[in-house]
Amino acid sequence: MAMIPLSYSLRSLMVRKATTFATAFGIALVVFVFASVMMLGNGIKETLGASGREDTAIVMSKGAQAELGSTILQNQVGKIAQMGGVAQGENGPLAQAEMVVVITHPKVGTSGVANVTMRGMPDNWLKFRSEARIVAGREPKPGTREVVVGRAARGRFQGFDIGKSFAMVENQPFDVVGVFAAGGGSLESEVWGDLEVMRTMFDRPGLVSSVHVRLMTPGSLQAFKDGFKNDPQLREYEVERETKYYEKQANGLGQFISFLGYAIAVFFAVGAMIGAIITMYGAVATRQREIGTLRALGFSRISILLAFLFESLALSAMGGVIGVVAAMGMTTVKFSTMNFASWSEVVFRFVAKPGTFQWSILFAMAMGLVGGLLPAIRAARMSPIKAMRGSSRRRGWHPGRWLRWLRRPPRCSW
Amino acid sequence: MSDAQAEGKAADEAAKNPPPYRTQPESPAIVSLVGVGKTFFRGKEPVKVLDGLDLDVPEGSFEALMGPSGSGKSTLLNLIAGLDRPTRGKITVAGTDLTNASDRTLAKWRSQNIGFIFQAYNLMPVLTALQNVELPLLLTSLGGAERKKRAQTALRVVGLEDRMHHYPRQLSGGQEQRVAIARAIVNDPKIIVADEPTGDLDRQSADDILTLLEKLNKELKKTIFMVTHDPAASERASVQRRLDKGRLK
Ligand SMILES: Nc1ncnc2c1ncn2[C@@H]1O[C@H](COP(=O)(O)OP(=O)(O)OP(=O)(O)O)[C@@H](O)[C@H]1O
Ligand SMILES: [Mg+2]
Repeated sequence: MAMIPLSYSLRSLMVRKATTFATAFGIALVVFVFASVMMLGNGIKETLGASGREDTAIVMSKGAQAELGSTILQNQVGKIAQMGGVAQGENGPLAQAEMVVVITHPKVGTSGVANVTMRGMPDNWLKFRSEARIVAGREPKPGTREVVVGRAARGRFQGFDIGKSFAMVENQPFDVVGVFAAGGGSLESEVWGDLEVMRTMFDRPGLVSSVHVRLMTPGSLQAFKDGFKNDPQLREYEVERETKYYEKQANGLGQFISFLGYAIAVFFAVGAMIGAIITMYGAVATRQREIGTLRALGFSRISILLAFLFESLALSAMGGVIGVVAAMGMTTVKFSTMNFASWSEVVFRFVAKPGTFQWSILFAMAMGLVGGLLPAIRAARMSPIKAMRGSSRRRGWHPGRWLRWLRRPPRCSW
Repeated sequence: MSDAQAEGKAADEAAKNPPPYRTQPESPAIVSLVGVGKTFFRGKEPVKVLDGLDLDVPEGSFEALMGPSGSGKSTLLNLIAGLDRPTRGKITVAGTDLTNASDRTLAKWRSQNIGFIFQAYNLMPVLTALQNVELPLLLTSLGGAERKKRAQTALRVVGLEDRMHHYPRQLSGGQEQRVAIARAIVNDPKIIVADEPTGDLDRQSADDILTLLEKLNKELKKTIFMVTHDPAASERASVQRRLDKGRLK
């Protein structure tokens, strides 16, 4: 089949620059939203979902969505640590009970407050939490009110820096002595301190939130789980792999934000597609004589259809590229939001992955394809007799005409 | 049976048993219309434009068709060029029966047999002169280099080889029409149809175009069928015809 040269379609776009760019801009906007949502989704997964270890299990009370809502009796912790599948260290089984509370604390730079997760941990926690390390300052001394803040929280809340302090209970300030990193996840938005001190201060005698257990191998999870079935008290608890737990945490918020984002993107997409349809219908209307001539010369309906579809695809791809370039700018933006799973604030970034931009441009081209189809069909159905029409009057939609209409002198109606 | 169908049938009969005076044309007719009628519909109301029209155009002739506006000149030209089909009658052009040909067949046939010249030139504004002339060759199996060579040759015939890379907006009306003529001859069709080829041109450019058409007719042996309002243009043709109220005179 004979193809109408692609340059014909491309140059026809460039001839009507204003219309082309207006339409491409609409598509770019949609792609920008679309790509940003995808990148935010990636960011959320990276922040929340990348935490945890394959060979670590987390024990919480049944039905608790997160550590915050979970309670475990302190006197059961020993029994849990003794169960099958648990790895042994120099000083016995590798298990650690932790307590999680959320505090409301004033932010820096705004008058607002936000939630911060505080985590109490036993001595030697740095050994167990091998993903964590002190990046500034020093470790807190066990049994004191010394704490370390995650590097994402540092400086974002009042008193969250080395040498400063903040108080939850009057005259019992927490002293910040260091900053920790923990693999880039949501843990880096937390404050960590001594388990016993926090338990007293937050009045939770005899309770912890969760028990983290190092497994002998990642495959030992089932063996560890099985032990819980036989003990009536332990049956109140639930076991999950740490990586899985964090993934779930990420999904809740990730899905919520993605849903919102995609809803907005689809809403915009409808508008941009209507824009593309109007533009392409205009292009077909103004070029009736050209199309008729191509038909008269012997080009088939399919050739005409493809030429106009290609034009629409090129238009939307251009919009897609503009949108993606704008979205790349978002990778430098950071923002914080409430994580509804842990009721605390976490910081997100927009993270681009190799697929992000391909999908965004494909999305744009899908809009071009759908928007261009009806106009292209109209072009393909045009009779070659249109070539014979004498005058070259221009018809169809042109932004210049709208601008003139907008600038028309106002008429007084009374 | 409707009137139109009855007439159509009569025309078919006529085609099968041509009257004796038609059997010995001076030179073989390249265009042959027998009892051709064309009716358009404006809404439900039929508009009979051509009615029982017979026409033979011998190969190699240069014919001019005149007549008042609305008499159906363009309609007739469109039928001969295979852009439209008749309501009744039979049309044979360059050995092909166009009467009931499909759209697809007609398109292919046009690309091989007809060169078009339009009143408004109808060049693609976004393509250069050379690319415009090359367009019909895209419908052939020729390679890129050969297409370019032939397009250049066609442009040389119309005297515009120095304007190959100009866009239509950079050319005068007369030059645009010459590019259009190059496009019309580039794939060596037997017949060239022209609807008011000088209608948008000044006298001098019009004369140049007509001289060029004469040259195509005499030197390249093209059969030319030209619709015109201009008596001076009509003079240049070898045969003059008049269409009035749907009938040839
Ligand atoms: N597609 C169509 N639908 C309805 N009527 C048509 C159509 N095409 C042509 N006509 C009518 O047929 C008649 C003849 O039209 P045509 O264009 O053949 O005239 P013409 O002789 O070429 O006139 P002109 O010299 O002005 O170009 C006119 O009355 C016109 O309105
Ligand atoms: Mg006409």
